[in-house]
Amino acid sequence: MNRKTGLLAAVFGTAMLISMAGASAQDAKEIEIAAVMPLSGPWARLGEESKIGAELAVKQINENGGIKALGGAKLKLVVVDGGDSPDKFKNATQRLVSEHPDLAGGMGAYVSSFTLAVTEVTERAGIPWLTLSYSPKITDRGFKHVFATSPTAVKQADDGMPAIIDMAKQATGKAPTTVGIVMDNTPSPVGFTKNMHGDGLKKYGLDLVVDEQFTPPLSDCGPLMQKVRAARPDFLLLLLTATPDIKLCLEKLTEIGLPRTRLPIVNNGGVLGSPDLLKVMGKDLLEGSIFITANWGAKGQEDFIKKFEDETGEKWVTQDSISNYGHVMLLAAAMEMAKSADPEKVNEALHSMDISDGAATFFPGGHVKFAENGLREEAPLVIVQWQNGVPVTVWPKESAQAEPVWPQ
Amino acid sequence: MEKKRAALYRSLLIIFALVALCLLLSFATNNNYYRLMLAVIPIWAVLGISWNVFSGYSGLISFGHAAFFGVGAYTVTLGLVNFGLTPWIGVPLGAIVGALTAGLIGIPTFRLRGVYFALAMLAYPLSMVYVFDWLGLQEITLPMMRENGPAYMQFTDNRWYQVVSLSLFIVAILTCLFIERSRFGRSLLAIKQNELAAEACGVDTFKWKLYAILISGAMAGAAGGLFAVIQLVVTPASVFGLVISAQAMILTLFGGAGIIWGPVIGAAVLLPLSETLHAELGHLVPGITGMVYGAAIILVMVLAPEGIYWRINDLLKRRKVSETGDAPAPVAVSSRAPAMHETRRARSGEVLLGVDNISKFYGGLGAVKEVGFEIHTGEIVGVIGPNGAGKTTLFNILNGLIQPSSGRVVFNGIDITSLKPNRRCAAGIGRTFQVVRSFPRMTVEENVLIGAYVRAENEGDAWRRAAEALGTVGLTGRAHALAGSISTKELRLMELARALAGDPRLLLLDEPLAGLGADEASELTDILKRLASGGLTIAIIEHTMQAMVDLADRMIVLDHGVLLTEGAPEQVTRDPHVIEAYLGRKWAAKHA
Repeated sequence: MNRKTGLLAAVFGTAMLISMAGASAQDAKEIEIAAVMPLSGPWARLGEESKIGAELAVKQINENGGIKALGGAKLKLVVVDGGDSPDKFKNATQRLVSEHPDLAGGMGAYVSSFTLAVTEVTERAGIPWLTLSYSPKITDRGFKHVFATSPTAVKQADDGMPAIIDMAKQATGKAPTTVGIVMDNTPSPVGFTKNMHGDGLKKYGLDLVVDEQFTPPLSDCGPLMQKVRAARPDFLLLLLTATPDIKLCLEKLTEIGLPRTRLPIVNNGGVLGSPDLLKVMGKDLLEGSIFITANWGAKGQEDFIKKFEDETGEKWVTQDSISNYGHVMLLAAAMEMAKSADPEKVNEALHSMDISDGAATFFPGGHVKFAENGLREEAPLVIVQWQNGVPVTVWPKESAQAEPVWPQ
Repeated sequence: MEKKRAALYRSLLIIFALVALCLLLSFATNNNYYRLMLAVIPIWAVLGISWNVFSGYSGLISFGHAAFFGVGAYTVTLGLVNFGLTPWIGVPLGAIVGALTAGLIGIPTFRLRGVYFALAMLAYPLSMVYVFDWLGLQEITLPMMRENGPAYMQFTDNRWYQVVSLSLFIVAILTCLFIERSRFGRSLLAIKQNELAAEACGVDTFKWKLYAILISGAMAGAAGGLFAVIQLVVTPASVFGLVISAQAMILTLFGGAGIIWGPVIGAAVLLPLSETLHAELGHLVPGITGMVYGAAIILVMVLAPEGIYWRINDLLKRRKVSETGDAPAPVAVSSRAPAMHETRRARSGEVLLGVDNISKFYGGLGAVKEVGFEIHTGEIVGVIGPNGAGKTTLFNILNGLIQPSSGRVVFNGIDITSLKPNRRCAAGIGRTFQVVRSFPRMTVEENVLIGAYVRAENEGDAWRRAAEALGTVGLTGRAHALAGSISTKELRLMELARALAGDPRLLLLDEPLAGLGADEASELTDILKRLASGGLTIAIIEHTMQAMVDLADRMIVLDHGVLLTEGAPEQVTRDPHVIEAYLGRKWAAKHA
C-alpha cells in the first residue's frame, strides 16, 4: 500500500514539477507557434523528422534576429505529441489552444486524418495552420485558416504518371508503354490508384498488364511477384506503406531476376525515403527505387541541406523535415508581412502571400501562393530515386540533384 | 423492501451528484480543453456501461464492442454528410443501428462459449475495418455548419457537448440501474455465475442474453455517434479499432464488472490519468502515457483483480463486520417439520411424466438405451443404479440439458422432448444437481429468487415466493448470506428452495444427500417427505439405499444404461438382478 502511494505520489509530483517548470519558462516577449506531430506510435519517426525541421527553422530565425517587423521578437516552438489516432490529436490540439491562447500559427500533423482532426480545432480557434498532408478533404471543408503546401493526393495521382513518363523519356529517350500495379489496400495507395485501374492509364499510352491488391501484412509475396514476372511491365507501381512488405517484395524481385536496374519500381509518399529504411533494408536492396513525393531536398538548397545535415545529424533532408522547415519560414514571412503576431493578421498575410524567394524556395516549384481554399497553387510533385545509398531528387529537371536512372 | 428503496435513492443521489459535479467543474474552468475532456469522459463511460450491461452482467466477454460503437459513429457521419441528417436524429438512429448490429452479431455468436465467444466477437470489428476501407470510407469529416450550428449539434462552447454527453450518460446509467435491480439483471448475473443452473431453474438464457446485447449495442451505437459529433473526423481504425473495444473492457474491469459503478469509476479515474500523463510527460517521453497507463492497470488488476469497486466493497464490509463485532454466525436450520405421514401415499393413477423408449448415444456408447417408465402424480420415485448406470444422463434428458438420440418425453400430456430446459422448468419440472450449482456472488435469497421468477407475476410476487421457499426448507435465517460462504447442507437446501420457488409439479433431485452426515441427511429426507405429502411428485437419484427404501414409493433401477427393473422398494431390493448389478454375480447367487 505504501509503495503504491509512494509511486503514485512520485508520478504526480514529477508531473507537477514539469508543468510548473513549463509555465515559468514561458516568456511574454516570445511569439509562440505550434507543431502537432505524431511523436509516439507507428508514425513517430516521421513526426520526429517534422519536428527536427521545424526546430532548425526556429533556431535559425532567432539567430538571425527574430521577426524584424516586430522588433526582433523571438519565435518559440511548442511541440505537442498527438499520439496515434484522430481523437487523441483532437484532444491534444484542444489542450494546446487552451493552454497557449496566443499562438500565432502552427503546423502538422503528417497523417491526413490527424490533420483533419487537428484543423477542426484550430479553425475554430482562428489559428492559421500549415500542413503537408495530401488529402483533398483538408482544403475541401471551406475552412479559412488551413494551408496545404503539398499537391493533393488526387493531383499527385493525376500528375504522377506524366511525370514518370517524362522522366523515363529524359533518361532513355523513349516512353514506357506497359505498367503493373501491386498495392496494399490502405487509404494512400487506394486513393492514388483510384482512376488507374482498368483502362485508366490508357490516356498516358500505358497498358496496365498486372493489377494486384492485398491486405497488409504480406506473408509471402512470391505468387504476386511471379505474376509481375509473367506480365513483365516496363515499370511497376509498387504502392506499399509497411516496411516489412517493402523489404519482402524488393528481395523477391531481385531473387527472381528483376532487380531495380531491369524493372524500375515506383512508390508514392515519403515512406520509401525514410532514413530508417536504409538501416532495415540495406543500400543494395533500395538502390534504384523511385518514389513520388510532395517535397524533398532539391537543387539550389545546397547551403541549407549542408547546414541541416550538420546541425541535426540526419543523413538527408526528407519531405517532412524540409516541409516543416518551410512552414516555419512561411509563418515568419507572414508575420513580417503583417507586422503582427496576431493569428488573424498572420492568416490574412498567408492568404495574400505571393512569393518566389525566401521561404518559397523550400517548396518544389519555388513559388508560394495559396488559393481561396488554402491549397497551394501550382504545387508540383518531385520524383526521388535511391542512388548510392541516398535518396536524391531526380525530377523535375530544375530541382534535380542527379540524373534519373532508367533501364534502356 | 424498504432497504432496497433506500439503496435506490442512494444510487440516484450519487448519479445526480456526479452529473452536478461534472457540470460544476466545467463552469468553474474557462479552459476549453478541460471542458472537452468533461464532455468526452461521459461518452467513454457510456461505452463502458454498454460493455458492462452485456459482458459485465452476463459474463460473456466481448472483445468486439467497437463494432457497435463504429456503426453508430458512421451512421451519424454518413447521415450528415450524405443526407444532411442532423445528429439530433442521427445519434438515436445510431443507437438503433447499433442495436440491430448487435442482434445480427449476437444471435449466431451466442452458440459459442467462453474464449470462443470472445474471439468471435473480436473478429467482427476487425473485419469491419476492412469493409469500411473497401467501401472507400477511410476518412470522413463532419462538415462544419457555420450557420445554425446547434441545429446540427455543433457548438462553439464545449459545455454544450458536455450537456449532451451527460444526458446520454444519464439515460445509460438509469437503464443500467433499472436492469441491475430487476429480474433482467439478476438473470444475467445468474447466467454469468452458472449458465446451466440458470437455464435449469427457468431463466431463458438466450432471451436475456439477446436483450442484453441489444441494449448494449444501442448504448455503444449512441456513444459512437456522439463521439463522431465531438471528434468530427471518423476513420475505420479510430472507431472500429481494437483500442475502442479494449477501452470499453478496460474501463469496466478496472472499476469493477457486473456493478453499475464499475465503468463510471474506470472512466473517472483512467481517462483523466491518461490525459494528464500525456499532457505533462508526453512531450518529454513520447509514448510514456501508454507505459504508465498500462502499469496502472496491471497494478490495479494485481491488487484488486475484480476491479476497484469490489475491492473497496470487500474492505468496507470487513470493517463493518469487525466494528459490530458479530460476524454472521451460521444459523441452525430449523427442524420444525410437521408430523410425518407414515402411511404410504396412494398412487393417484394419473401419469405426470411419461418416458417413452429414450436412448442417448455418444458415438457408439449407449449411455441410456431404450428406457421407458412412468411417474405418477404424488409419488416419490427413486432412481438407483451403480456408478455409470446412466442416472444423471437420464435426468439431463428429462429436464432438457441433453437431447435424446431417440424416444420421447411426455410431461402432463404434452410432448416436451424438444423443449429447452427453461421451458421445461416453466412447464413444471424443477431440478437440483449432483454437485450443487449455485450463484456464489448472490445471496441465498437472490439465488432462490432466480428460481421464483419463472412463476412470479411481478417482482414483489417473486420475492414473496422466494421467502416462502426459504421458509419451507428452513433457511430463512440465512437469507442474506452470500451463497459462496455457506455450508454444504445449506447449499443443498438452497438449491432445493430454488427449485421449489418455481412451484414445480415434478422435482428431479440428483443425489441430494451426497456429502451430508447422517443427521443432516435425515433432516433433508424429512423435508422431502413433507413436500411429497403436500402433493409434489419427486424423482430422486440416490446411492444411499437405506434412505431410498425409507423415502421412495417406487424404485427404478438402471444398469449400463438399461432399465433393469422397477417396483416397490422391498421388491426391488430383493431382485437378484439388482443385487447382481450392485454387488456382483456371486453375491446375488448366495442370497437368491
